[in-house]
Amino acid sequence: MIRTAAAVRRRTRVRRASILAFLAVMGPGIITGFAGNDAGGVTTYTAVGARYGFEMMWLLLLSTAGLLVIQEMCARMGAVTGKGLSDLIRERFGVRWTIVAMLALLIANGSNIVAEYAGIAASLELFHVQRIVSVPITAVLIWVLVVFFSYRIVERALFVLVLAYIAYPISALIVGPPWGEVVRDSVIPSLPIGQAALIAALALVGTTITPYMQFYIQASVVDKGIDRDQYRFERVDVLLGAILTGLNGFFIVVVAGAVLHPAGIHVDSAADAAQALGPLAGQQAQLLFGVGLFGASLLAATIMPLSTSYAICEAFGWESGISKNFREAPVFMGLFTLLVVAGALIVLSPSVPLIPVILVSQNVNGLLLPIVLVFILKLAGDRRIMGDHANGRVSQWIGIGTAIGASVLSIALVAITILGAG
Amino acid sequence: MPYLSEIQHRRVIEPNGNEVGKLADIAVVPQGQFPAAQWAIISTPSGEKVLRWGDLAQEIGHFRLRNRLETTPDAQLPADALRLARDLLDKQIVDTHGAKVVRVNDLQLSEVDGQLRLVGADVGLRGLLRRVGAETVAERVAGLAGRRLPRGIIPWHLVEPLEPAQDAPAKTAAVRLTIPHAKLALLHPADIADIVEEMTADERIAVFQQLDLETAAEALQEVEPEMQAAIVSDLPEERAADILEEMDPDEAADLLQDLSEERRDELVELMDKEEAKDVEELLTHSEDSAGGIMTTDFVALPREFTAAQAIDELRAKKPDPQLTYYLYVVDGEGKLEGVLSLRDLVVAPPETKVSDIMDPNVLKVDAETPKEEVAALIAKYDLLGLPVVDARKKLLGTVTVDDVVELMLPRGWKKRSLRSIAR
Repeated sequence: MIRTAAAVRRRTRVRRASILAFLAVMGPGIITGFAGNDAGGVTTYTAVGARYGFEMMWLLLLSTAGLLVIQEMCARMGAVTGKGLSDLIRERFGVRWTIVAMLALLIANGSNIVAEYAGIAASLELFHVQRIVSVPITAVLIWVLVVFFSYRIVERALFVLVLAYIAYPISALIVGPPWGEVVRDSVIPSLPIGQAALIAALALVGTTITPYMQFYIQASVVDKGIDRDQYRFERVDVLLGAILTGLNGFFIVVVAGAVLHPAGIHVDSAADAAQALGPLAGQQAQLLFGVGLFGASLLAATIMPLSTSYAICEAFGWESGISKNFREAPVFMGLFTLLVVAGALIVLSPSVPLIPVILVSQNVNGLLLPIVLVFILKLAGDRRIMGDHANGRVSQWIGIGTAIGASVLSIALVAITILGAG
Repeated sequence: MPYLSEIQHRRVIEPNGNEVGKLADIAVVPQGQFPAAQWAIISTPSGEKVLRWGDLAQEIGHFRLRNRLETTPDAQLPADALRLARDLLDKQIVDTHGAKVVRVNDLQLSEVDGQLRLVGADVGLRGLLRRVGAETVAERVAGLAGRRLPRGIIPWHLVEPLEPAQDAPAKTAAVRLTIPHAKLALLHPADIADIVEEMTADERIAVFQQLDLETAAEALQEVEPEMQAAIVSDLPEERAADILEEMDPDEAADLLQDLSEERRDELVELMDKEEAKDVEELLTHSEDSAGGIMTTDFVALPREFTAAQAIDELRAKKPDPQLTYYLYVVDGEGKLEGVLSLRDLVVAPPETKVSDIMDPNVLKVDAETPKEEVAALIAKYDLLGLPVVDARKKLLGTVTVDDVVELMLPRGWKKRSLRSIAR
C-alpha cells in the first residue's frame, strides 16, 4: 500500500503524455502473466503437446480469451474500489462465503506450491542434484529471503531466468511444425473421450486461468495505486499479460507437439520435457530447459505463499505484513511458514513422482476455478460496488461461459473418475 | 447484550403469529455516542420493507409487529442512515492514516433505557466464530485447554464512519471506520490502556506516537507488563525514552527490566541524566523486592525545617499525589529519622520544627524485602506507603500503596473487560 514519491511523480506525468502514462501503470498484467508461466504451466503445456499434439490448441486459445476477460475484471475491480479481491469477497458475501472462497484459494495455491517445489526438484535433478538436498535448501532460502530481505529482489533476479522461455518460439521457427494443422486444431474443437484426455484438458484450463492469478493481479493494481483515470492504460497492460501467457502456452504446445508427439515420447520426467528443446539447443537442451523451469518454479514458490497469506489475512482482518514478527502477526507468519514447509515436505519423499504431481496440482486448480470465478463475476457485475464500471453484457457472458466451461470439464472428470470409465 | 449476528434473520410475525418475513437489517443515523436502532429492514416475499424500529417488539426468538403489516406505515431511510449489516459489518476499521487495522466481525447492541443501541464493534476471533455459529463450541474447546477466548470489542464511541469519497460509485464501497486518536486522549489513562490492549501492534504504536507525553506515560503504566515491553520495543527510541522519563521511575525500571539488555542500555542512554540515574539505581534491585518496586521520588524534609518551610518545599516540588501521604524526615546524611502525615504538617503551628511533630517510630523495610512482605505490612497496618532504607538507615525510596495494590487483589482482577467502558 505504500505509494512512493516516485509513484506520485509518475502520476502527475500521466496527463502529459500517454506513452509515458502507459509505461507508468505497466506491470501488474505482465508480471502476472509471467508468474502464471510457472512449473505447472510449462509442464502441463509440454505434457499436453506430447500426448495430444495440437489437438487441444483450441482449448488453450479459448482459455486465453477467458483469462483475458477475467484478468481485466479483476484489474478493473482493483482500480475502481482500491480493494483486494478477498477484501471485496468478505465485504460483499460475509464470513461464511469468505471461508469457502479462502479454502478454495488455500487448496489451489497450496497445490501450486507443491508443484513449484516439484519443479525445483525436477529441474535440479537435471543437474544431478538430489531433491533431498535441493528442496530443503530452497525452502529455507525462500523463507529467509522473504522474511529478512524482500521478495522484490528475488522477483527481479528470477525474471531473467524465466527469459529462457524465449527458447520456445525460436524452437518453433527452427522445427517448422505443420502450421496448417496447428491452425486447423486452433479453430476446430475436438476432444478425445476418456479420463486421461479430460485430465489433460482440465489441467490445461487450470494452468492457464489459475485462481491465484486473479487475486494477484488485483492486489498488484491496488498496490500500485492505479485509479480509475489511469485504468484505460492498465487495460493494455492486462491485454499484453494475457497474450504473453497465451503465446507462451501456444509455443510450448507447438514445440512439444512437433518434436515429442511424433516421436511418441510421454512426459514422465523433466528430462523427457527437455527433449522438446533438442532441435534448438542439442546437447544443451537440458541446461536451457532446466534453467527456465528452475527460475519459473522458484519465482512462483516465493511469491505464492506470500500472496496467499496476504489474501487470507486481508479477508479475516488479521494483522499481516512481512516486517512483523510471529507475535505481532501470528496467523500471517504462521500461514506463510506452513505453506513453505508443507510444500517442500510433500515433495521431499523420493516416492513422489514429480511430473504427475505437477499435473495433478493443475487439475486441482481447474476444479476450484469455477468457485472463484463465480465470486469474481458476482462482484464485477455488481453496480453497488462497481457503479458505471460494472461488467457489461459481453464480458459478463464471456466470464459466465468460462465458468460453465471449466465446470463442465470438472464435473465430467469427477463423474468419469467415480464411474470408473475411461 | 445481543449481537447483530444473533438477531439478524430472526422471524418477524404479526400480532396473530403469522410470519411475514425476516429481519434483514437494522438502520441507525450515526450521531451521538451510541446511535439508537431507528429502522428495521424486513425481507418479505414481496421484497424489502423499511419499518420504524418502534413498530417491532423483541420477543424470545422472534420479533412481533405491533400492528398488522398492511396497517404499519412504510418508513423512509434518510440519506445519512447506515444499515448495520450492509454498510458496517465485514468492513475494515482503519486508523486515521488509512493504514489497515482490523475487520468488523460483528456489531454489539445493547438495550439502554428501553432503546436498542449500537455500542461496539466486535473485531475479535469470537465475533468471527459467532458468525459461523461456532462460538459456543470453540469456547468449550478453549475451556478444555484451560484457556478463554479473548474478546476484542472496540466501543462504538471510539469509532466514526468515514464520509464516503466524492466519486465513490456506491456508499458501501467507501464506508470505512476510524478510531480517532483525538477522542482517545480524552479518556482516562487506565481506559486508554484497556483499549490499547485490544488493538493490533500497528495501532498501538500509532496511539503511543500521538498521545501527549504525560498521557502516554500514564497509559503505558496501566498496560499489561508483557505488552508494555512490546510497545516500548517497537516505538522509535527517542519517543520511547521521552515516555520513560515521564513515567514514575519505579514503573520505568520495571518496564526496562523486561527489555533486552541492549535495548535497555540504549534507552537509558537517551533519557534525561537525572531520570536515568534514578532508574539505573532501581534496576540494580530484584524486580520482586522492595527495592525493585519502590520509587526514588519521595519527599524528604531536613529535620531542622519548620512546618512553614516544609509546606513551601511541597509547593515548590509539587510531588505526585501518592507521594504526599507521608513526608519523611531525614538528617544531614539522609538517614531516616521519622515520618509525618500531610495532615500533621498542615495543622501544626507554622514555626514548629518538623522533628517535633514527626513520629520517630517508623515502620521501614530494606531493599531486599520481598514485595509480598511489603504488601502484607502495608495491608496489616493500613498504611499508604512504606520507606525503604539501606543498612545504615539511609532513605533510598518509598513503596506506595499503588505499587502493591495488585498483590493484594485476587488474581485476574485487573483484567477488566472492555465492556465496562462500553456502557
